[in-house]
Amino acid sequence: MILGFDIICLSLILLCAVLALCIRDLMGSVIVFGAYSFLMCVVWACNGAIDVAFTEATVGAGVGTVFLVSTIYSTTRMDTFKKNRLLKQLFMFVVVCVVGALLLKTVTDLPQWGDANSPANTHLSSYYIENSIDQTHVPNVVTSVLADYRGFDTMFETCVVFVAFIGIFALLRIRKSKSKKAATNQPTTELTLPPHQEVDSLIIKTASHLMVPFMQLFALYVVAHGHYSPGGGFQGGVILGASLILLAVSYNFKKALSILSEKKIILLVSLGVLIYAGIGVICFFLGGNFLDYSVLHKILPATDPIMARSHAMLGVEIGVALTVMVSMYGIYLSLSSNGRFDKGL
Amino acid sequence: MISFLYAAGLFLLVNLLLVFIRAVQGPTVIDRLLSINVIGTKCINLIVIAGLIFSRLDMFVDIAIGYGLLNYIAAVCTAKFYQHHKTLSPDSGASS
Repeated sequence: MILGFDIICLSLILLCAVLALCIRDLMGSVIVFGAYSFLMCVVWACNGAIDVAFTEATVGAGVGTVFLVSTIYSTTRMDTFKKNRLLKQLFMFVVVCVVGALLLKTVTDLPQWGDANSPANTHLSSYYIENSIDQTHVPNVVTSVLADYRGFDTMFETCVVFVAFIGIFALLRIRKSKSKKAATNQPTTELTLPPHQEVDSLIIKTASHLMVPFMQLFALYVVAHGHYSPGGGFQGGVILGASLILLAVSYNFKKALSILSEKKIILLVSLGVLIYAGIGVICFFLGGNFLDYSVLHKILPATDPIMARSHAMLGVEIGVALTVMVSMYGIYLSLSSNGRFDKGL
Repeated sequence: MISFLYAAGLFLLVNLLLVFIRAVQGPTVIDRLLSINVIGTKCINLIVIAGLIFSRLDMFVDIAIGYGLLNYIAAVCTAKFYQHHKTLSPDSGASS
């Protein structure tokens, strides 16, 4: 019966995708993509994949739309089609169709959905489900797989977020002395941006002032309670970043940068990756393998090797949360201010 | 109890379809924004209902709270966008 929910939601998702393509006003497309992520979250939740659903919820509702809106704010708003590019569009259509057909062909080789005899279900999943509590004291198997058994993968995922932030920052950041020269050289880019005036909305300011503490408290709970409930570093970090973005949107950049300045952004985003890799290196020096947390009981007081793994996972999650939080905030600041870091959405 | 939950979920989904018509038709962006916000609210309810069906509400309620906290950021952001741009229709006037 829950399959019925899935089918309705998936067909609505398909409709959302088509609709987003059909709307010429890019703001409309961005907003329709919000619905896409809402419905995707429901599909994950109906399948019982709550950690994925949580990630989709936080990223889709918190930062995804905001990033796209701020990109449109600093670029253009209309989807322009040039008629004489018909050949190019035809070529792209063919390429997309071929790639889609190849992907569909590959899907037939995958095991059936929910197949009990597939390799993943016979070897891997059962091992994790049976041994997670005994080996790590973590009831939420997803967290123990993510942060311990598959620690390498998660470390490099954190690095991907880090690199994404550094890439956007390096591409967009304009130094103030250079921007003055650039403004005289290219007056066209200045003209497309509307004149900026300070807008004081008491309602939005008061609402965000009331909401931000609760959001941050909830985010800390998500990070710290990831061992027992869905959530963890990524989700908590995104919520923390979204609360900072909300402050920057409802006040102005001056207020936002007084909380977390540009220098601190760069420092903290590196610190998060450093915490993760540092825990791995400490294991190295204590005689274990890289990211083999059980040897940490030698330096952590009053723990056995099993509890040490549980504690080290929390440390790792804090590192992930730090990197993700500051990355989201920094990406928003870069995108909405066009790299100038002075004023934005 | 379970059949009641299924019925409630289906009812919400039908409502969601009705709201979706506004997102498809919606002449202006604000109509679409409003309908998407309503869809978000319905999704929160659907997630809680899914949690009740799986009888693990303690797991699903976190997602619902997270959604509830974050759902309005996009609306605030879009409102700010229109405060700067002033016009509701795209500048070139050649809307679809």
